[in-house]
Amino acid sequence: MNEYLSVSQLNNYINRLLIGDPVLQDFWVKGEISGFKHYQQSGHAYFTLKDENAAVSCVMFKSRIRFLKFKPEDGMEVLLRGSIAIYAKQGKYQIYTQEMQPYGIGGLFLYLEQLKARLESEGYFAPEKKKPIPPLVNRVGVVTSQDGAAFRDIVKVLKQRHQGVELVLVHSSVQGIEAPLELAAAIELLNEYGAVDVIIVGRGGGSFEDLMAFNSEEVVKAIYNSKIPVISAVGHEVDFSLADLVADLRAATPTQAAQLAVPDLIALQDYINNLQERMLRAVKNNFQQNSESLDRTMMRRVWREPMVIWENKREKLKNLQKELLDEATRKIESKEHQFKVAIASLDKLSPLKVLSRGYAVVHKGDQIVKMVEDVELGDKIQIDLTDGAIKATVEDRERVNRWRI
Amino acid sequence: MENLNFEEALKMLEEIVEKLESGGLGLEESIRLFEQGVELSLYCQQQLHQAEGRIMRLVKKLNGEFELVDLELE
Repeated sequence: MNEYLSVSQLNNYINRLLIGDPVLQDFWVKGEISGFKHYQQSGHAYFTLKDENAAVSCVMFKSRIRFLKFKPEDGMEVLLRGSIAIYAKQGKYQIYTQEMQPYGIGGLFLYLEQLKARLESEGYFAPEKKKPIPPLVNRVGVVTSQDGAAFRDIVKVLKQRHQGVELVLVHSSVQGIEAPLELAAAIELLNEYGAVDVIIVGRGGGSFEDLMAFNSEEVVKAIYNSKIPVISAVGHEVDFSLADLVADLRAATPTQAAQLAVPDLIALQDYINNLQERMLRAVKNNFQQNSESLDRTMMRRVWREPMVIWENKREKLKNLQKELLDEATRKIESKEHQFKVAIASLDKLSPLKVLSRGYAVVHKGDQIVKMVEDVELGDKIQIDLTDGAIKATVEDRERVNRWRI
Repeated sequence: MENLNFEEALKMLEEIVEKLESGGLGLEESIRLFEQGVELSLYCQQQLHQAEGRIMRLVKKLNGEFELVDLELE
């Protein structure tokens, strides 16, 4: 008996051949979509890609579909990137779709995707680099075509919102080969000129190819380098332009850009009036608070009955005076007594007192004669008595032993 | 005050209003703030009506000078 394979083994083997082929694992193919079905439940899409003579089954999983930048429809020519594998259950091969772009503009799309990824990685679209639009804009720079409907729309809306607003147009072509450099130069010129508060860069709607100037690296870099805030205003058929991504503010249309650029003057006026009223009310309140606080203070007893406070103080002063006087009197009396005692004891010790009792003091010259030996016979001496003195001469002297107390 | 732009003046005015509204200020302080606020709000009002509404086209001449040309739009 010949050797044989199971069907599964066969499909497995074929699949291995396909998976092993580098070309079949990553390729671009062009074709027309037919029978496109997007299942809501699973989120996967199934369709056939065909040309005049051939067809191939395709699947695109939910995880890839979310990166699609357009809505695929039957009859649409697309460029598709994917890999080939066997669907074993039905024994047929199919394309597992990685990404898909509309053909025709597909090439542009690819360029755009790559440029976007590069500029993004270089930080051109970073949200923290975005400048705020000032609340009051009196001068608006506009970069667009002088003859375009976009410029008329911008003027009309700006004037509706802010009568006095001034426009400074720098004319630039907005499509064609020279447009990217002209747009970039216009943005740079306004920055060099300086005297505008905000810049609107844009044009009305057009085909994808028409809008390509707003996807150019030159315009992206000019907007990024602008010191004046930039509002992008590109009329859209596709979902974004790179100018939108780099701009400080993105408007869907020139009309919307004009609305975003200038404040509604009446609303701003109202706001300032409101601030003035609030300020006035606050000051009034503050006045009232202070005045109430003054009233409360004035209500206190000191203001209603000032004499009470005065009386209290006077009473206290009186008491203090009395205390002071009493104390002083006591001190004086005590000193007087001490003085009298001192005088009395002084009087007792006075020699004059002794003389009055009949005693005498004997002097020889300046000296007082206390002992018999203090004098010699013939010395002149003076005897002081209570009422005078006697002069005498020593005729005799004799020692006598007297007992002493 | 001449050095302020509208945005800064408006911000200062807002701060003054909030300060006044928060209360607890002395009379002198609140009068001082009020005077300053009145000045700022007048300045803001004046800025609102400052622009003259011209529509111009800016070009840079060959000699490097800027030229503003008034545009007539029907």
